[in-house]
Amino acid sequence: MNARDFSPEVREALQRLILSLADTKRMLGIRYSDWLLGAPSIESGIATASMSQDEWGHARLLYAMLKDFGVDPVEVEHSRPPAEYCSASCLDEPFADWAAVVAGVVVVDGTLSLALERFATGAYDAARRRIPKMLAEEAFHRDFGQAWMRRISEGSEEGRQLLAAAVESMLPDVVTCLLPGDDEAELLAGAGVTGQPGDARARLGRRLAEPLAALGMVPAADPPLPGDWIASRRRPAGEPAGDAVERARGDRNRALFVE
Amino acid sequence: MEEAVYDVFARKQRSEPLRHIGYVDATDDALARVYAWKTYDEENWFEMCVVRRSHIIPVNRIDGPYAARATGRLGRHAVEGR
Repeated sequence: MNARDFSPEVREALQRLILSLADTKRMLGIRYSDWLLGAPSIESGIATASMSQDEWGHARLLYAMLKDFGVDPVEVEHSRPPAEYCSASCLDEPFADWAAVVAGVVVVDGTLSLALERFATGAYDAARRRIPKMLAEEAFHRDFGQAWMRRISEGSEEGRQLLAAAVESMLPDVVTCLLPGDDEAELLAGAGVTGQPGDARARLGRRLAEPLAALGMVPAADPPLPGDWIASRRRPAGEPAGDAVERARGDRNRALFVE
Repeated sequence: MEEAVYDVFARKQRSEPLRHIGYVDATDDALARVYAWKTYDEENWFEMCVVRRSHIIPVNRIDGPYAARATGRLGRHAVEGR
C-alpha cells in the first residue's frame, strides 16, 4: 500500500513513525561518530566510523519516504531546530565511555532494527522495498555489539558495572520511544503497518536475554510511558544537544550546500 | 584479552580466486569478521573470509609472517634457524 491508501489518521501516525526512526538513526550516527577517535583499537574505531555512515545512509532513506506525505526531506534534514527532533532521548548527549557505545550498539541499534523489521514486513510498500538492505547491514552492527558486550562482560568488574549502568539507563527509554505501547502504536498495528507493540517488546526481551544475563541483568519488562511523554514527537520532553543537531544539519557548510 | 592477527581474503565475483587484501587485529573470530567487513568495505565483495594468521601452515617459505606455524622439514629448519 502507498501512503495515500491509508486513512488520514494512519497516515499521520505513519509519518511520525518514519520521522522517529529516521531521527533516531541520525542521532545514533552522530553518537557513533563521536567515537571515531578514542575507540579501544584502530579496528574498532574504523568499525564505528562505518556504522556511523550506515546509520546516516539509513536515515536518509527513511527521510526520503516523507516525500510520500508531501513533506520535503531536505527541509526536514537541514532546517529543523532540536526541539522538533523525534529521536530517542538517550541519544541527546554523547556516549560517556566505550561501555556506553557498546550498550548503544546492542540496545539502541538492536531495538531500532527490531522496529524496522516490524515495519519492513507490514503493509507500507516503501518500507518493504527499502528496509531489507538496511537490515542486512545491521547484521554486522549486531555482531559487533554482541562480541564487544561478551568481551566486556568477561573482563574487569569495573567494565561490567559501566556496561550494566549504560544498558540500564538506555533500555527503558529506547523501548518506550521505538516500541511504544500507546494508542498510536495500536492504530498502526490495526492498519497492518507494524505488528502489535506487545509482541515486539517480547521479541526484544528474548533477543537481549542472553547478552544481559552475562551482566546479571534481565530486560525491562514493559516500561510505562513517562509523565512528560510528547505524543507528537514520540519521545519524552527534551531535545538533542544543539551542537549535535548543528553537525547533523551541516550548519557550518550551509554556504557550500548543493542538492 | 590478547589480540591476534587475522588475514583477510576476498573476491568480487564467484569466478575469481580469493585474494589477500589485508589484515586486522581482533580478540576473537566474531570481531575479526566485523572488523574485516567494516575495514575493507569500499568494494562490492561477492565473498570475504578471515583466517587467523597462526592457523596458516606455510609450505615452501621458512621466513615471512607465516613461518611461526611452520611444520615438517622446512618448518623445522625455520624453527632451528632462529
